[in-house]
Amino acid sequence: MLSLTIDGKKVEAEAGWSLLDTARQHGIDIPTLCYHEAVEPFGACRLCVVELKQGNNSRLVASCVYPAEEGLEVFTSSEKVNSVRRWILEMLLSECPASREIREMAGQYGVNTTRFEVKDPEEQCILCGLCVRACAQVVGANAISTVGRGAQKEIGSPYLVPGEDCVACGTCVTVCPTGAMGARFERVRGVPSVIMARPGK
Amino acid sequence: MANDCKIGVFLCECGRRIAPLVDIDQLKEKLEADPLISYVGVEPFSCLAPGMAGLKKAIADNGLDRVVVAGCESRVMLHKFERELADSGLEAGQIDMVNLRGHVAQVSDLSPEEKAAKGFKLIKALAAGLETLALTAHEKVEFKGPAMILGGGIATYSAAQELSRRGIECIVAVATDEWEDEIRMLHEHYPGERHYYDRLEAIMKDVDASPLVRRITVGELASMTGRTGDYHVTFSDPMGGPPRIYEVGAVIAALDGQMLNQGSDFGHDGRNVICHTEAEELLWTLGPPEGKVVFWLNDYEAGHPEYSYLSCRAAWSMARYIRERSPLTQVTMLHHHQMAIPLSAGERAASRKLGIKWIPYDGALRPTVQAGFVTYCDPESHVEHELPWDKLVLSPRRSVGQEATKVAHILGLEHQEGAFLEERKQRVRPEQVGRQEAFLAGSARYPCDLHESLRQGRRAAAKTAEMISKAQAGELYAPRMVCVVDQSKCIGCGLCKEICDCGGIEPVEGPGGNIPRHVDPMVCTGGGTCAAACPYHALTIQNNTSDQREARVSTLAQTLDPDEVMAFGCAWGGLAAADNAGVKGMAYDPRLYMLQVSCIGQLDPSVLARAFLDGANSLLLIGCPPEDCHHSFGLDHTWSRVNLMKKLLGLCGFDRRRIALAHADLNRPEDYIRTVNSFIKSMAELGPIERTPENREKLAGLYATVNNPRVRWVLGATLRRPWEDVYPGNQRNALAFDRDMMGVVSEEFIRARVANLLKEQARPFQLRELAAALHEDEKPLMDSLREMVGEGVVGRMHKDGVAHYVMR
Repeated sequence: MLSLTIDGKKVEAEAGWSLLDTARQHGIDIPTLCYHEAVEPFGACRLCVVELKQGNNSRLVASCVYPAEEGLEVFTSSEKVNSVRRWILEMLLSECPASREIREMAGQYGVNTTRFEVKDPEEQCILCGLCVRACAQVVGANAISTVGRGAQKEIGSPYLVPGEDCVACGTCVTVCPTGAMGARFERVRGVPSVIMARPGK
Repeated sequence: MANDCKIGVFLCECGRRIAPLVDIDQLKEKLEADPLISYVGVEPFSCLAPGMAGLKKAIADNGLDRVVVAGCESRVMLHKFERELADSGLEAGQIDMVNLRGHVAQVSDLSPEEKAAKGFKLIKALAAGLETLALTAHEKVEFKGPAMILGGGIATYSAAQELSRRGIECIVAVATDEWEDEIRMLHEHYPGERHYYDRLEAIMKDVDASPLVRRITVGELASMTGRTGDYHVTFSDPMGGPPRIYEVGAVIAALDGQMLNQGSDFGHDGRNVICHTEAEELLWTLGPPEGKVVFWLNDYEAGHPEYSYLSCRAAWSMARYIRERSPLTQVTMLHHHQMAIPLSAGERAASRKLGIKWIPYDGALRPTVQAGFVTYCDPESHVEHELPWDKLVLSPRRSVGQEATKVAHILGLEHQEGAFLEERKQRVRPEQVGRQEAFLAGSARYPCDLHESLRQGRRAAAKTAEMISKAQAGELYAPRMVCVVDQSKCIGCGLCKEICDCGGIEPVEGPGGNIPRHVDPMVCTGGGTCAAACPYHALTIQNNTSDQREARVSTLAQTLDPDEVMAFGCAWGGLAAADNAGVKGMAYDPRLYMLQVSCIGQLDPSVLARAFLDGANSLLLIGCPPEDCHHSFGLDHTWSRVNLMKKLLGLCGFDRRRIALAHADLNRPEDYIRTVNSFIKSMAELGPIERTPENREKLAGLYATVNNPRVRWVLGATLRRPWEDVYPGNQRNALAFDRDMMGVVSEEFIRARVANLLKEQARPFQLRELAAALHEDEKPLMDSLREMVGEGVVGRMHKDGVAHYVMR
């Protein structure tokens, strides 16, 4: 057993638990986007940052991948942590302004507008790759990956055409933290051969 | 039940997403009071490392062997629980999940107490299903005998080379003794590939020298029976002797397609206007022709622009050969202006150097063949030109060929008339099926060149070798939830084989006749519509049986309030849509209680009937969108089963609307919500079924009727077959057929009720008494009784001159 403090609360952890595991076990909430219990942690979105105090110094780490250590002093919502989260959310807001989930989360941190350039007002995807990892680790189908590089990077099946490997189980849609995968699902599994009517259409 | 098991339930709090919304304490109290459940644990997050450690400890401390996790989506999380809890001795099938977060907590504004009550009902139903689980041993797949490569395609050699390279013994079944013969005839399948023959010869020599490869010369393939690891392959003898039978573990089919000549509409005459195969023969027998040779790549006009790549490569290879050996011959390539020329930069340079002309034509105008000329339209100037020729070479027509079709048919590969053999992949998760593909290589699969064909052979061999090595190490297991046949019940009717298109159901030995079936566990996807169709309940999905589903619906039906609705959702449609509605926190009518199945086609009519019998007033089945079923035609078959249930509900005097099939796209949760709300609304208008003794008696009759083999047989005849292309099945003579079915169903319904009554009361009945007890007219009853007496099911005796009937 390791003992550490999170937000001033003395907690115990086993070797191998991450800070996020430990905090959640003790009822302390840390916001996450790219993290899902079904897959290995990845540390892509950095929203789960926490502050580690070491003497007069402190540093920020991603709690989903940082292991619990003896004697750590962790702060999950200090001013420094919240400031970083606000920055991240502001950037995400410019990256994917169409995502309801992101807007709500940013709103909780008082971020309602963004000073960064909005490139695509319809974008929802934060490119965290959770869908890709879920497809590989949960389903084992490996039907999607990131396609392209840098500013052109996006999530899709090879060559962005519906692929044979997709079994259309919808795991990617269910785990997506921003609702982006729903919009591109059709391009991965293909358009169903029979499309059912929608009311009024 | 006799099943001695200990069931543990673990409730997740999931941060603040379940705990404050559902009254966890109350739920825990209720579950602890239930005799079915031995242990209840609460974890902040069952799925994280600390929670998982808690689960493992509780399982070990309390000796639990069945676990229900009440947390979130089983589609996403169940895999992790199965993996993590394998150390605790729990296997797939022993763990089940309720989506407490997505189906209860997040989707309505009920009070925490009401949500706890809803969660309790769902958890209890799953626990009842787990209690009924009869766990089977993990089935190990063994390979008896070597691998066999048959079909005679050229991919035979690359497959044999790959197998021997990986140390796997194999038998190569071919039609000729000498491999030189095969090379001599190869251009009939792969024209314009001479440059590749050196490499091919090296492969063949390699195979010839390998001690692991046994070469046999056989006649035609006659039959193949058995299953993965244990096949019997029968060939006719080439010399006319008795058929030869080989016992092999794996089969790879190397099949080459056939090249046909173009028809006379392209001017083909076999002398001066020829196709690639003829051109190649000419080149090698008479040598390069003189004068003007024109290769017209007419694949666009022949209707297959996608094959122009192959034709162009072959034509280029021949053109190059001609120019290199006969410098006086003029060679021109005439091609559609949209066709991409598949030559590398080096090849283009070589083409220029050799003076081969490439002339594009405007595809809007079809070139016309005349004696000595082809007219074509220039794509830039739109002027029509004439191109003179002495030999005009056309692209071949590619087809799958009769030979390959015949072999594919014997191997049980589903095949549409005239189409190539490229398989339709089963759209299920890789873990659900042991063997992902039939091992098939060659241009009969889809048109390809020699290089691709050999590559396919290597790939099929590599996959086979992987499987065999795994089996040799004792690590190859069949998936847990696949169909098995109880051969003491099977009469060999073959209905299951007809409606299943996994290709996993085979006769035990030899074709035809009343021979019991068995299932290849490596091919079965566990969809289970075949099991639900079996007239005699001989076919079941192991570890996921109809009995389990009956236990689940029975328990849920008993706990439901009169206005609550039971539903089934399939993992690909209804359940997934419900999960996604939960993720988005969309509210819908909380009176819906959804149970999950991996395919809606798994639902045996007996499960549907059981729900009504034990207290459900309505049943909504939510499957995939039409034509989107992931397991053959489970959805379509459910349509027929719902139709049967509607007829029976009508016969009972209940509203036929009480059962309905609906479709949900997982990506459209808002549509799913409309489905649910509209059904529940119409059910609320109907009100519950009154549970009077009369109605109970009818429902018992309904349950007995759906288990009647004759009814199940007639139902089986209506189920959509893989070759039918109409949803939801054969609609020819729909009315006449439906009337016939109604006739059978109403006959059997009355007979079932009579039998139930006589069995229950165990005393002789007069016709008049029977009619009064069943509230039926005497006439139809008399007819049924007469038949039942004739069949010896019911005995007739006379007391005081009046006929009395008694159950035998």
